Order: sequence, then C-alpha cells, then structure tokens
Amino acid sequence: MTKVRVLFGFAGAAIAVGLWLALTAPADALQGEYSRIINVHVPTIWVAYLAFFVTSVGSLMWLWRKTPRWDRLASSSVEVGVLFTGISLITGMIWGNAVWGTAWDWGDARLTTTAVMFFVYLGYLALRGAVDDPAVRARRSAILGVVAVIQVPLTYFAVNLFRTLHQTQSLRPDGSTMPDEMITAMLVNVIAFTMLYAALLTARLEVAKAEEAAAVESALAGDAVKPPKLSEVKDV
Amino acid sequence: MSFWSQAIEIARVDLAVERRLGDTLRIVTPFAVIALLVFPLALGVRLSVIREIGPAVFWALGILFGMQIALRQSAADSPERRDIYALMGLDPAARFAGRAMSGGVLMVAFLLILFVAMVVLYGPSLPPGSTWVVVVSAVLFAIGLTELATLAGEITAGLSNRNSLASLIVAPLALPLVIGASQALEALVRDVGILPWILLLLATDLALAVAGIGLARPIEEATR
Repeated sequence: MTKVRVLFGFAGAAIAVGLWLALTAPADALQGEYSRIINVHVPTIWVAYLAFFVTSVGSLMWLWRKTPRWDRLASSSVEVGVLFTGISLITGMIWGNAVWGTAWDWGDARLTTTAVMFFVYLGYLALRGAVDDPAVRARRSAILGVVAVIQVPLTYFAVNLFRTLHQTQSLRPDGSTMPDEMITAMLVNVIAFTMLYAALLTARLEVAKAEEAAAVESALAGDAVKPPKLSEVKDV
Repeated sequence: MSFWSQAIEIARVDLAVERRLGDTLRIVTPFAVIALLVFPLALGVRLSVIREIGPAVFWALGILFGMQIALRQSAADSPERRDIYALMGLDPAARFAGRAMSGGVLMVAFLLILFVAMVVLYGPSLPPGSTWVVVVSAVLFAIGLTELATLAGEITAGLSNRNSLASLIVAPLALPLVIGASQALEALVRDVGILPWILLLLATDLALAVAGIGLARPIEEATR
C-alpha cells in the first residue's frame, strides 16, 4: 500500500500545481472563465483514451500469455477509464451549456462518439459482471477489450472526419491555437491527471489482487468455513 | 473441406434451420413493420415530418431489429453442438464466417422488406438512384452488423442474460455502420459524394471480419 500512497501523493501535488496554473492562466477573450474547464476536460479524456488503450494491450497480452495479471490490468484500467470518460462528458456538457447555449448538441460528433465510447465500456463491465468463472470472464472480456478499442480513434478523429460543432485539436504539428500560458497549464494538468490515473490503477490492481486471493480462499474452504490463518493460531 | 466449403455448409445449415423456425420472416419482420406504424401515431399525423423522418426511422429500426435477427436463438450453438463441431475438426473461423453469411442473407432480406414498407407508409421524397444506394448500403450494413452481433453472441454464449448483454455490446459498437448507411442516403439527397460513407461501411466490415476471423479460436475456447 506504500507504493499506492506515494503515487497518490505525487498525483495530488501535481494536481495542485496544475490547478494553480489553470487558475492563473489568462482567461479566453470570448469564453471568459469558462475556458478554464479545458484543464479538466482535456486531461480526463486523454486519460480515458490511455486507459482504454492499456485495456486493449492487457487484453491482447492475456490472450497471448494467459496470466491473471493481464486480465487484472485490462479490467482495472476500464474502470478508471469509464470514470474519467464520465467526468469528461460532464465537464464538456457544463462548458457547452455556457458557451454553445446547450449541454447536448446532436450536431456534435465528438460528444456523441464519446458517449458511445462510454457505453461500449459499460458493456465491457456488464459482461464481466455476468460471468462467474474467472478464466471464462477473462477470456471473453479480453476479446471485447481488443475489439472495443476501435472506438478510441473514432472518437478522437470524429472532429476531423465530420463537420461538427466541437473544435479540432488545439495542439497540432504546425503549432498551437492557444496562448503559451494556457497550453502550459493544460499540459501540466494532462501530466497530473495521468499520474492520478497511475495511482488509481495501481490501487485498483491491489484491490483486484486481494479479491482474487479471497476468492481462492473461499473456494478452497467453502463459503461457510474460513481457513485458519497462521497468525491467528496461537498454540501449535 | 476447405475453409469456404465449411463456411458455406454452416450458412446452409443455419438457413435451413431458419426456414423451419421462421424467426426472421414470421416474427421479427412483422414486429418491425408494426414499429414503423408506431412512430407516426406517436408524432401525430404531420405528413411533412413523417416524410422527413422515414429514412432515419428505417435505419434505427434496422439496427434494433437487425440485432434480434443476428442474435436469434437458431444461431446460438448449444455446448453439445460446439463439441460436435470441435470433434469434426471444424475451423472456428469458418464457423464465424458461415454464421456471418447466413445472418447477412437474412438481414438483407429483412432490410429490403422494411425499406419497401417504409416507402409505402412514410412516402419519403427520395432522389433517383436511391434504390441502388439503399441496396448497397443495406448489404454492407447487414454484413457489418452480423459480424459484430456474431462476435457479441459468441462472447455472451451460455449466459442467462445473453440477448440483452449482447445488444448492449453491439449497439454502441455499430455506430460506424449506422453513420455510414444513413449518411450515404443523406448524401444522395443533398447531392454530395456518397463514396466516403460507402468506404466507411467497407472499412468497418473489413475490420470486423479480420477481428472475427483472427479471434475465432480464443472465442471458441472462451465458450467451452
């Protein structure tokens, strides 16, 4: 647990720095204070993409190596990814309500594809919840984890593929469309949220490991009988 | 037997079972036509609105009822039948291809009947050439949706909530298919190029075929 605490400590410090930069960077001339929401909105969706990519890698590795740790990685990463996708959707809707005048615009391909991505991975979690056998659960969800990642590039490139309300990427190979202070704040927050993802993922992996150990213990002794622990046995 | 002979044989058996049971043509198709009638009743008799929403309702019902066809009970293999296939040395990828072929044939028939019903009931103003666009996009849509639903049906095989869970997996992942099919017709109405949308459908079908064939063996092991 020390490793998890250290990771959360670093993530907390990085988020504090990111928050300070986000609040001190100049506000957008047209959007005013609402523009600061990109410091949460952009990093959370970046982390969601990363989480789902990690899931696809974990799924592929499980199909190849068949070791439980890859399944733990894939499923834990989905849980964190879904959480961050939800936050990104909510912050996007808050921003849209203020700037576009509507929280949900059907003409916006990025918004719609992000919502669809959210439901794809909710389906993944529903599939895991429906299968009891750990090996069968791991195999079936690994297959879905590999297929579902197609949604990530579709969501990312939705702003380029369709005529849409959502602006295109702010950081491009030919330069940025934002002032340096805003870019710096956003990038620091991207790093900070990535660290938070790493901390949450590590914590969830620890929990998943403990859950598996408890399941094995229960399977060995039956639900009604708990096997004795050496530390609890005094007079041997 | 070669890969394609195995796939065609699976498709032939599936279609023979379907002809006997009649799930698609006797149950799902009439149900979808009833659903076509529900929309105008809910909207009120506003002819201009009904004409305008016709193609969109067609594709929405296409995906909802198409999933029912792809996930039909006659296409779900029992554990015993899976064992027989394994003992016969049937290639899991050929089984996937065969199942996708039979589902695709049924879904194309369903979509064409539904389209005719939509044209009769909603009277949309479609430009010349739209029949071919609908046929091509319906075929590509049906292939992709069947591939996706076959994959989802396999990974949820044997679960008590198979149909609802598989639908939850298929519906969001079918987004590129719905976009491609509906936008191809929309592009024709607006007199802009339909090729990008047909290519989107083709690319999705191809990606799903690669995924289905490539993952056929792990799927086979997952359901045993």
